[in-house]
Amino acid sequence: MLIFKNTRFFDKVINNIPKRSFKITAARNHDSLFVHRDTKENNLDVKFEFTPENLKRAEAILAIYPEGHKRAAMIPLLDLAQRQNGWLPISAMHKVAELLNLPKMRVYEVATFYTMFMRNPTGKYHIQICTTTPCWLRGSDEILNCIKSKLNIDVGQISEDGKFSLSEVECLGACVNAPMIQINDDYYEDLTVKDTEEIISELKADKKPKAGPRSGRYAAEPITGLTSLTEEPYGPGFGVKSDL
Amino acid sequence: MERVLLVYEKILRKIGLEKFGNLIEIIRINDGPVNSLKKLTYYDDLKKGTLVGTDEFGNRYYNNNYYFFGRNRWVEYADHVGFNYDGSQVPPEWYGWLHYKTDYLPENDPTRPNYPWVLKPSENLTGTKAAYMCYSTTKPKIVVWTPQSKQKA
Amino acid sequence: MLRSSIQKAAKVSRRCVHIGNTNKAAVAKPSAEQTLLEVYIDDKKVLVEPGTTVLQAAALVGVEIPRFCYHERLAIAGNCRMCLVEIEKSPKPVAACAMPVMNGWRVKTNSEMTRKAREGVMEFLLVNHPLDCPICDQGGECDLQDQSMAFGSDRSRFTDIDFSGKRAVEDKDIGPLVKTIMTRCIHCTRCIRFASEVAGVDDLGTTGRGSDMQVGTYIEKMFLSELSGNVIDLCPVGALTSKPYSFTARPWETRKIESIDVLDAVGSNIVVSTRTNEVMRILPLLNEQVNEEWLADKSRFSYDGLKTQRLAFPMVKFDSGELKAVEWEDTLKHAAQALNNANGQIVGIAGPLVDAEALIAFKDLLNKLGSEHVYTENAFPLSGSGIDIRASYLFNSKIVGIEQADLVLLIGTNPRYDAPLINTRIRKSYVHNELDVALIGPKIDLTYDYEHLGNSASTVKDLISGSHPFNKRLAQAKKPLIILGAQQLKRSDGAALLAAVQQLAKKTAEISKVDASWKVFNLLQEAASQVAALDLGYKPGISNLKSLPAKVLYLLGADDSDVLKESIPTDTFVIYQGHHGETGAELADVIFPGVTYTEKQGTYVNTEGRAQQTLNAVTPPGYARTDWKILRALSEIAGKTLEYETLQEVRKRLEEVSPNLTSYGNVQESNFIAQATELSKSVKNNLESKPIDLKLKKLEDYFMTDVISRSSVTMSKCIQAVLKQKQNKYYDGVEK
Repeated sequence: MLIFKNTRFFDKVINNIPKRSFKITAARNHDSLFVHRDTKENNLDVKFEFTPENLKRAEAILAIYPEGHKRAAMIPLLDLAQRQNGWLPISAMHKVAELLNLPKMRVYEVATFYTMFMRNPTGKYHIQICTTTPCWLRGSDEILNCIKSKLNIDVGQISEDGKFSLSEVECLGACVNAPMIQINDDYYEDLTVKDTEEIISELKADKKPKAGPRSGRYAAEPITGLTSLTEEPYGPGFGVKSDL
Repeated sequence: MERVLLVYEKILRKIGLEKFGNLIEIIRINDGPVNSLKKLTYYDDLKKGTLVGTDEFGNRYYNNNYYFFGRNRWVEYADHVGFNYDGSQVPPEWYGWLHYKTDYLPENDPTRPNYPWVLKPSENLTGTKAAYMCYSTTKPKIVVWTPQSKQKA
Repeated sequence: MLRSSIQKAAKVSRRCVHIGNTNKAAVAKPSAEQTLLEVYIDDKKVLVEPGTTVLQAAALVGVEIPRFCYHERLAIAGNCRMCLVEIEKSPKPVAACAMPVMNGWRVKTNSEMTRKAREGVMEFLLVNHPLDCPICDQGGECDLQDQSMAFGSDRSRFTDIDFSGKRAVEDKDIGPLVKTIMTRCIHCTRCIRFASEVAGVDDLGTTGRGSDMQVGTYIEKMFLSELSGNVIDLCPVGALTSKPYSFTARPWETRKIESIDVLDAVGSNIVVSTRTNEVMRILPLLNEQVNEEWLADKSRFSYDGLKTQRLAFPMVKFDSGELKAVEWEDTLKHAAQALNNANGQIVGIAGPLVDAEALIAFKDLLNKLGSEHVYTENAFPLSGSGIDIRASYLFNSKIVGIEQADLVLLIGTNPRYDAPLINTRIRKSYVHNELDVALIGPKIDLTYDYEHLGNSASTVKDLISGSHPFNKRLAQAKKPLIILGAQQLKRSDGAALLAAVQQLAKKTAEISKVDASWKVFNLLQEAASQVAALDLGYKPGISNLKSLPAKVLYLLGADDSDVLKESIPTDTFVIYQGHHGETGAELADVIFPGVTYTEKQGTYVNTEGRAQQTLNAVTPPGYARTDWKILRALSEIAGKTLEYETLQEVRKRLEEVSPNLTSYGNVQESNFIAQATELSKSVKNNLESKPIDLKLKKLEDYFMTDVISRSSVTMSKCIQAVLKQKQNKYYDGVEK
């Protein structure tokens, strides 16, 4: 049997042979699990109760739906629980099931279907950055990198102080104002890296940055000012036959 | 008896009945009419030949080139096996001679190795009571109740 | 809440089943044509009731539309899209299972568009379905396999070059009976619908969405129900397969024998799959009158109990006190000697799994030997009408009668575990027909809501006197049913309770002015042999041996009898004839190995009084022999030869005693209910105040109730699983 003293030659030979003769690529799956795993933050022992105010809200929500169709209140109630807790723990789902007198499985089904129900802990400020084509073309990658470096977290993680969490999302419907991020319920649009840094610094100081476009324009109006509908709106009766 | 047969044989040859003389000779060589009938019953054949050797089990090996190739070497099995003779009772050293693999007899075969670890040959036991039977490796389909008796009061 | 929520869908499906049953008549009788819709399926005209779906209309003319998610006993889901068909003038293909037909529609089930739609759906299903048919237990009976052959494309566009891999889903542990390979799941949601609609255990559901959707329990929890095995049959692919059956046999190499289940008194029709003389599995057989197409877990999975603890050799107890296997002849002689020496002081007890043939031979033999003491294990009071009137010990309204009822009063029974398939009927009616249920007995989980009337037997008295608030409900009911559990008759005041319930039934019939043909009183038996035994004139229930002259105690498959719990005198000679070694065999001086229900052709009568027969699926083990043949042989050796030699002759004898026993598949309408009630007035005993208790209250009680299921390893695993589940934090059963 030959023994290669010069292993570098041997390595070269081996490295030129494909490791496996077949090719595999990772399946593109969702980044969250659709089964429940008990974690430190999310298990049955971590109790969830609606606050008295929210309980009143829940009653109001339930009152909207007629008897026999109370289960329709499931999404509003889950949303209420999420707003109260920041995210949706399993005990909150159980609470909703209890309120609606439904099997728990029916609540799990809904809570896992909608991606905006966060079943894992999120930061106080949940940053969702849109990286779909229009935003990406307008530089969402830089914004994303800025957030990552500023917070020292990766997508899907929570910052150490528990204040921020970051997730990458598909189109949030503000393509005209690309690139944009959503923090909790607010949209921050027409961003530059500088804007993003400002927003994050303000949030770090627990100040609420002004939501909306950062370019100074109003909503989705053209950035160069209005190009149509510039004249005064016509008054009532415009273009109506005089005898009417 | 042998003498009588020899006399008959000579007379028959003298008067020209060569074939009958041969018959008598074969009977004579095979130890008289009784033994000849016995061999005929065992082997369906009665031959004249020279005993070239006997193996450790008592099988006797004969040769007679009067018979054509393929029939000129034969074995008569040891007496104690009776009708239960079998080809596998021939030990390997005689097997070669019997099947014309060699013309040397075992005792003067120079090619035959003589290793100390070679086992004594044994015959094929298939079909006999001593045949090998593997134990069952499958689970029984039915697990039978093992009797446990409870005492009545 | 649940009832109302699935009602909408369920109502459609119920109507459909109903239509499915009656529509042949509708086609034949065009008199009702005005209300019927005219539809053309592949140019074949069919008249259907409004509300019929395209798929059902097609089924009426024999056109089968492929489907995965549609199941006629479950709500319509319409999510698999396999049943897409073209409808003339419709621009898009239509899901046939969910689309009600309209007048004049022309459905094309074999057009270019239909075929293309099916091929497309099939292609999408197969994109994420593993190609592991060779190691899949569903192989050979897989809907996906069959339909991809029949309706799929003949070539694959599936290349792995730019593909990101097949979807993979982690398997779930949902218990010891159902094995999950969730990667194979095609999301038809049949199991989910079964669990919530039929089984009443809302533990299964879909989580996630899109290609990440998966069927499961979300939390780590087992799907435990007394009907869980049915999801295996429902699953159109190999995602849910039977754990005990896994990798043991292929469907095409098994022999299928249609038979009857005897582990409860429902008499579910089953198919016994055997291979190389071994029972491989048991599946339900469709019988609308009895079990529909469901089967309870005990009946389905306890077949491994048929292979353990078996008595395979005749045995005799030697002087040393040891039981040893001996020849049949010696055993029979030994027993015959003991029987002849007893001078008629013989007591016979028949167990719960004995067939009618053995019962008649047993009774005839003992009678010939001069003994009248032939008993069954289960009690039934002889006072009042006793066993003279069948109506007092039958489920008179029949199992299908539950579907017409609008009020069921359960007294001292837990149908969920005593007769799971009767419970599914009640639940079916509860969900679809607005049936209301009330219960007298301990609080239990019946899978549906019920009004709990307490657990005191005196409630029955209150109801008779009309002082109970529930009387109002009884009076309002149009078709009330009262179901009494046979186990209550064992109570010391069993006779009084039976009489009281009979009176209550009569009173209910009077106050709610039911139709004369509607039978209110029903008795729910538990043992498969009980009705036949009572028909044959057995004395029901024996509680102690002391009062009887018993030189010989002959146990015919009787292991649970109260007699065995007490001490049996040393000088009593015990003969045990049966198929499993247990309490009875341990006490025996002589053991005759009998056969189980899969090994004989035997008659069983279910709780409705429906005679049905089992068929030989496998040969008996060892020297075991059919029970009536053993008794016949014994009679000859004892010098009291029974006058029948063949099965036909035994059945002729059965017919002499009770003609209904050989009228297979039929129920003889029970009558003389009024007379039975009248006779019940003669019962003078009073109801005792002790509360009504139930034998089977929890799921873990259900799995082991007789010798077969007690010998079954699978059943003990089930019990372990239930107990483990109760330790689970996420378990939220009522029984906790």
